[in-house]
Amino acid sequence: METEARDTSVPRARWATGLIFALAFAGVAAIFALPGPEPRRYPERIPVRFWHMWTAEWKVIVERIAERFNQSQEIYEVIPLSVPGAAADSKFLLAVAGGDPPDVMAQWNPVIPRWAESGLLMKLNDLMTPEEWDRFRREAYPAVQKIGIYKGDLYGVTTGLNAWACFIRLDHLREAGLDMRDFPETLEELMAWGDKLNRFDASGALTRIGFLPMGLHFFAPGFNGGFYDWDTGEVLIDTPENLAALNFLTEARRRLGFDEVVRFQSGLALGIGNIDWPFITGSYAIHVDGQWRVEQIAQYASYLEYDTAPIPPPAGGKPLFGWTNGNFMIIPVGARCPDGAWEFIKFWSGIAEPERAAEFYTWGGWLPLSPAIAEAPVYRKYVEEHPQFQTFLDMLPSENMHPTPPVPYQVYLFDRILSADDSAMRGTLTPQAALARLQREINREIASRREFGYED
Amino acid sequence: MRKKWVGYAFISPWLIGFTVFVAGPFLLSIYFSFTRYDVVSPPVWVGLANYRKLFFDDPLFWKSLGITFKYALVAVPVGIAAGLGLALLLNLEIRGISVYRTIFYIPSIVPVVATSVVFVWILNPQIGLVNGLLRVFGIVGPAWLQDTTWAFWSLVFMSLWAVGGGMIIYLAGLKDVPMTLYEAAIIDGAGPLQRTWHVTLPMITPVIFFNLIMGVIGSFQYFTQAYIMTMGGPEDSTHFYALYLFNRAWRYLDMGYASAMAWILFVVVMFFTILIFRTHKRWVHYGN
Repeated sequence: METEARDTSVPRARWATGLIFALAFAGVAAIFALPGPEPRRYPERIPVRFWHMWTAEWKVIVERIAERFNQSQEIYEVIPLSVPGAAADSKFLLAVAGGDPPDVMAQWNPVIPRWAESGLLMKLNDLMTPEEWDRFRREAYPAVQKIGIYKGDLYGVTTGLNAWACFIRLDHLREAGLDMRDFPETLEELMAWGDKLNRFDASGALTRIGFLPMGLHFFAPGFNGGFYDWDTGEVLIDTPENLAALNFLTEARRRLGFDEVVRFQSGLALGIGNIDWPFITGSYAIHVDGQWRVEQIAQYASYLEYDTAPIPPPAGGKPLFGWTNGNFMIIPVGARCPDGAWEFIKFWSGIAEPERAAEFYTWGGWLPLSPAIAEAPVYRKYVEEHPQFQTFLDMLPSENMHPTPPVPYQVYLFDRILSADDSAMRGTLTPQAALARLQREINREIASRREFGYED
Repeated sequence: MRKKWVGYAFISPWLIGFTVFVAGPFLLSIYFSFTRYDVVSPPVWVGLANYRKLFFDDPLFWKSLGITFKYALVAVPVGIAAGLGLALLLNLEIRGISVYRTIFYIPSIVPVVATSVVFVWILNPQIGLVNGLLRVFGIVGPAWLQDTTWAFWSLVFMSLWAVGGGMIIYLAGLKDVPMTLYEAAIIDGAGPLQRTWHVTLPMITPVIFFNLIMGVIGSFQYFTQAYIMTMGGPEDSTHFYALYLFNRAWRYLDMGYASAMAWILFVVVMFFTILIFRTHKRWVHYGN
């Protein structure tokens, strides 16, 4: 019996080994059979290597813009490359350090002050003609200039600003006996609307938030505060205005219950992409969000009855306020073809021909760089088709929309602002204590930077 | 002699790779820790300033170190106990035991990123599996990852998911315990618990020792789960040391400072490793 068993097991083992080798060989062969990178369409031209972080449908739009650029002239060929967002910054830094950076990169992380301070970025105003520079300073929206300019020089050109405003569910308003035509003129009135729109289940748990102001960095400018004096360049933290803003936000949270809100919000889908956005699913009646949602609603929830409006200022506060950021283009030091990169930036941003670039902005539902683009017929047509977009355009000329302060420790500052905000919103620290802690942290950072020999 | 060089020639790809990508950066980082360095500009010598700031002027450094210590102190023993307990159960000769072993081992080979994303949903306070189960018993579960008190413990709880990796090593160790010892113990009248306590455990202490060392080293390098699931929040309650180090290096571009942090971590890990090695003669029993 034993002999028989051995006789059958040996061929089986051979078969199994053979099969494993065959599969391994097939796997390797499949890898080699995969198509290589697409050959260049215009090999005779000077290549302009363009890195960006968009994926999926956004990548298609970006590649379309690059192709339009390539079709528009005969000297350069822009070669787009989508770099995974999580590793894009470190990849970029290592590429610059290694002497082989891309020629141009689209960014949205707050990197300009730190990278400019380190000498990583080219001054774009050096590539501009004096006329272009003057026009940019004259015409670009205030937020565009605040994002791109560091210590008087331009390091990034915004190709898509972000602004935040109220998204309002009209069906929820009707249900609560409210009318959009009477939309509140002050934040306090809007809070009263929110109270009427909140919904709870039989056990008293929140099922819908009417309106809940969130984000100290968003609301501080409305209370005449903010984290930066744009005239003197001073970082402002523990000011009466910021404290008033944080008190207001904390009180709004306390009324609904600190823990109750955490629970409610953690049960919501992130809604980064499409139809699961909590505003669409009805978890918020009035919600502050960015302009890109207009396009998303049009695509995925066109049935939704909604409107948009700027966040009303608190009594005695500043109108058309908020935090802003955006997509911007940078050229690293060491770029092989900065001229081609600059040509591409001009083409996309609309510095060169605003009317032509207006079309690109409509493809992504992006807010424009200047009024010249906003007033282009193709852009006006887009706004007519998406009337809720007009709110965001109305906000752009405002001087009360601020990005994170353009200081070299910008990322650290933003992280710590969020942490202080979080501590106050959970009721762990009083607003006074949270701001005082934040002030200490930033003072410490500034002091140590000076000790290390940095200017600021 | 010639044979020796042929041998070196064969391993030269590894030697070159190790020198360039491991040993070189390792040694360079000592120098960087005494500099102000942002990866791109040349490093500027600042002496002990990075270390001075870390020890005397950076509360987040101490906080992140404390959180990491706490994690090592809790998660490593819990992981060892769970892994060993499972291995003892899966060492029983019952029908279908290899299926059970496979089931308990599989989670440990799931990529940590995928596991983290799944656990974000499992621990969701409203629609998550854990709170759903607790609700069945009339218990209102905490907000887990969103709760300052519970976020850290959620990560400890999640670490049990990968306990199968250790379990398989314990199982191998258990299989190596000579049957003669059990037979002798039975003859001496030892019951199952006594056999486990006086025979099994002493005989697999070398395996426990190995897993303890690896567990401590792994705990001090804890990063991915915190990066994906909490980003250090809420309120810095999961701001692990390696996460803070990463932020300093790549987000704040303080590579010199991060190098100093890395060396402090190295010293801490070495200290505990040596400490465990020093004590091992007292509790690790080798067969001979």
